[in-house]
Amino acid sequence: MKPDNQAWDQLWEKAAAQLRPNFADRVLRAARAGVDAAPSMLSQFALGAATAAICFLAVAVFQARNVHEEDKNTIADWQQIASAADDSGLLQ
Amino acid sequence: MDPSSTTALVDLVRRAQSGDESAQREIILSYQHRVAGFVYAMTNRSDSVEDLAQQVFIKMIRALNSLQAPAQFESWLFRLARNTCIDHLRRQKLRRIFLPFSIEHEDVPEPRGAVDTEELDALRYAISQLRPQDRALLALVQEGRSHAEIAQTLKTSVAAVKARLHRAREQLRQHYQSDHET
Repeated sequence: MKPDNQAWDQLWEKAAAQLRPNFADRVLRAARAGVDAAPSMLSQFALGAATAAICFLAVAVFQARNVHEEDKNTIADWQQIASAADDSGLLQ
Repeated sequence: MDPSSTTALVDLVRRAQSGDESAQREIILSYQHRVAGFVYAMTNRSDSVEDLAQQVFIKMIRALNSLQAPAQFESWLFRLARNTCIDHLRRQKLRRIFLPFSIEHEDVPEPRGAVDTEELDALRYAISQLRPQDRALLALVQEGRSHAEIAQTLKTSVAAVKARLHRAREQLRQHYQSDHET
């Protein structure tokens, strides 16, 4: 048994009943106001990718600075140790 | 489409393209119910119809100047509607993946309307079992589009339309029959 035209007509009628009065006016107002239609899949994906890239960059920069600071402190510590050893004649 | 109505449509579209708001309103009024029916067939959700129909017409107004051949306006409009609905269905699918516990994205079936008949329920069930591409095909046929016009809308060949339509109709019949008999 296949759906008859009456079922399709009912579906179309039900759909038409979902449009509230003055639909055309509201569309024109929205178009004039520059209300965006829903963002496309591509734009949403691009936004997600850009956000991920910015977060990754921030983490990388922060990590690089942290490592650099630690290296500086470590080198300073070793220099202190070397200087103390030199003073006490251990390195001669 | 007879030549006189084609000429009138071309004239209307050209006026709308030049920014004539009354022409744009006339286009919306002429096509709003057809677009709403198409959207409902594609999404199977009456609560999405107005929002998506509005999106389609907003896109139409914004992209109207890109339409090179006003005589192909209807094919162009329903291609816009089809793409808008498919984008909507894809976003819904993604939301279900990333927000699996979000109540509003559960597959809550739409409550049966007071005036819904068994035939309408069975048709809606059958449509819901089809892929969006097949729903679009059947909806365009119900719209009264010829195979050539559907091929133009979907940017494919007439032979491909006939083959896909045959399969889609068969699947729709099977699902309609299984629901109607329960």
